[in-house]
Amino acid sequence: MKKYKQPSTIGRFGEFGGMYVSETLMPLLLDLDKSYKKIQKDKKFKKELNDLFKNYVGRPSSLHYAKNLSKYINGPKIYFKRDELNHTGAHKINNCLGQILLAKKMGKTRIIAETGAGQHGVATATVCALFGLPCYIYMGSKDIERQKPNVFRMKLLGATIIPVESGSKSLKDAMNEALRDWIKNVRDTFYIIGSTAGPHPYPKMVRDFQSVIGKEAREQILKVEKKLPDYLIACVGGGSNAMGLFYPFLNDKNVKIIGVEAAGKGAKTEETAATMTSGTPGILHGSYSYVLQDNDGQIKEAHSISAGLDYPGVGPEHSYLKDIKRVKYFGITDKEALEAFQTCSKLEGIIPALEPSHALAYLIKAFKNKHKNKVVILNLCGRGDKDLFTAAKAIGFDADE
Amino acid sequence: MQMNNLDSLPKKKILSLFMTCGFPTLNQSKKVFNEMLSHQPDIIEFGLPFSDPMADGPIIQEANKLALRSKLSTQQSLNLIKELSKSKNNTSFVIMCYLNTVRKFGLNKFIKNIKSIVDGIIIVDLPFEEEDEIKKLLSKNNIHLIKLISPMTDKKRSQKLLKNSKGFIYYISATGITGSNKLDYKEINKNVKSIKRMSSVPVLVGFGIKSKKDVIDISKKTNADGVIIGSALIQKYFDIKMDFNKYLKSLKKFIQEVKI
Repeated sequence: MKKYKQPSTIGRFGEFGGMYVSETLMPLLLDLDKSYKKIQKDKKFKKELNDLFKNYVGRPSSLHYAKNLSKYINGPKIYFKRDELNHTGAHKINNCLGQILLAKKMGKTRIIAETGAGQHGVATATVCALFGLPCYIYMGSKDIERQKPNVFRMKLLGATIIPVESGSKSLKDAMNEALRDWIKNVRDTFYIIGSTAGPHPYPKMVRDFQSVIGKEAREQILKVEKKLPDYLIACVGGGSNAMGLFYPFLNDKNVKIIGVEAAGKGAKTEETAATMTSGTPGILHGSYSYVLQDNDGQIKEAHSISAGLDYPGVGPEHSYLKDIKRVKYFGITDKEALEAFQTCSKLEGIIPALEPSHALAYLIKAFKNKHKNKVVILNLCGRGDKDLFTAAKAIGFDADE
Repeated sequence: MQMNNLDSLPKKKILSLFMTCGFPTLNQSKKVFNEMLSHQPDIIEFGLPFSDPMADGPIIQEANKLALRSKLSTQQSLNLIKELSKSKNNTSFVIMCYLNTVRKFGLNKFIKNIKSIVDGIIIVDLPFEEEDEIKKLLSKNNIHLIKLISPMTDKKRSQKLLKNSKGFIYYISATGITGSNKLDYKEINKNVKSIKRMSSVPVLVGFGIKSKKDVIDISKKTNADGVIIGSALIQKYFDIKMDFNKYLKSLKKFIQEVKI
């Protein structure tokens, strides 16, 4: 197999990716790309980031052998890569630290970000507090409603939250508004994108910063199992936690890789966020990738119980990995994810976020009584505290009682 | 080959009016464009509605949303433009849209639909780096690909962008999205002058032009050849609380004012 080397210098993963933005943003993206290339070779930058990973985030995150779940499934040996133990409770902080260090190097003085579940918003607000930079978070009003604990967290951290009322009032629209803010404030503002989506160099940059997950997991599994895993499983919205885990394993052709999308009420219904199962290639937020769209190329609204996966697009690299068949993608419904959310809590004493609950649900469904003697790593990319109210409501539990 | 109206634009005080197709409804949209056409502006820009117009401000965004309420299709927008072209006379027709609309419709089919009707096209999110294939096809069919230059575009990049440019140059006056921010005439003048040293086609200033005063100021205080007005035309509709008949009247009055 040829060594994996994506994207191209102009940000293409095969035919996907690219930079489809207006001329107001083009010079900025080119400048960002240049600065990013420069810091990749900067030893001081690397050292600074690694120090923060270790002492601020608490990396490396552990690789937990989920014995009870493994027994329950009666299939492979399951390991959780526990990025939910990170400071701020999800993998998002890895990327935010990388980008804010870059913003500092570029002399930017104002930070903006979009957020869906609020995890990226919290992570951005956190690094802004740490570095003393003003922080503006765009968040759909629908998401503000269903992710209240994270809204309060961001406010405590000193961020200004700007509710987005347009479109479906969720992640896609928050990203539109953040891009508009950037166009208006090109000179002083750095836009921290939280997913492997958006125009080049974001998909590459976010993947690189998140790939610490996969690098650690690789070392950890080699230590305990003396071999590489047979399967990797992660949930995919825009796709940053998944790319972070997958990337360092892409050249290991014996490692099978599975991405799990949110199918909402079903991948064949209109209420879905399963972009790669139900979508077609198109352009959204500056990048060519699979999107949910109608025959005229109008972007559809996505649906998922999990705000972090409620996005009608997906990162261009995932689109490419799907097309070259290196990664297989499957959809999991709201209902299945909610069940897995409870199963994992009861069996492992870990309350997962609704996002990785999708990955868990797929694992339970597809691996039950199968693949014995195999080893699986699942990216447990976020913890469930933020979802308690949503889950309680969906399950029918009255949290006020 | 049929001639392209953009090749015979006047030397100065060029007026380009932007309007979203299908706004507020498809039928009313015809009346809006007919009103615009009756003033014989130099250019009319037809915005094709897109669900995620990320380079446009809240006003045009709202117009897109209203137009798409009734599931307006790309074909319906193109048919509207075709119908209006019968009374186009010397006015240049320019389409302004996002790339996903063209891609999904099919590039060849799109060009077939607009050939000898439309003189130019602005694809907002198609950067110079990605334009080769589209530009070739357009030029074969005598449709000019209009270039945008922003205050962030440096000299080296401008040179590349402006090479062989045709029709006009769309200079984005405020570093901002359509319909926002204040105008900085000094900066506009400096940048327009610099563009003019690199290209001989007219330079029009767009983004943030809201009144007769703005139009006069651009003409007096800068070296620009004309202006593009968009958001301000649409804003009128919301100003009069969406009363369509009143809107047509206020549109007429406004266009008469800005024709200097």
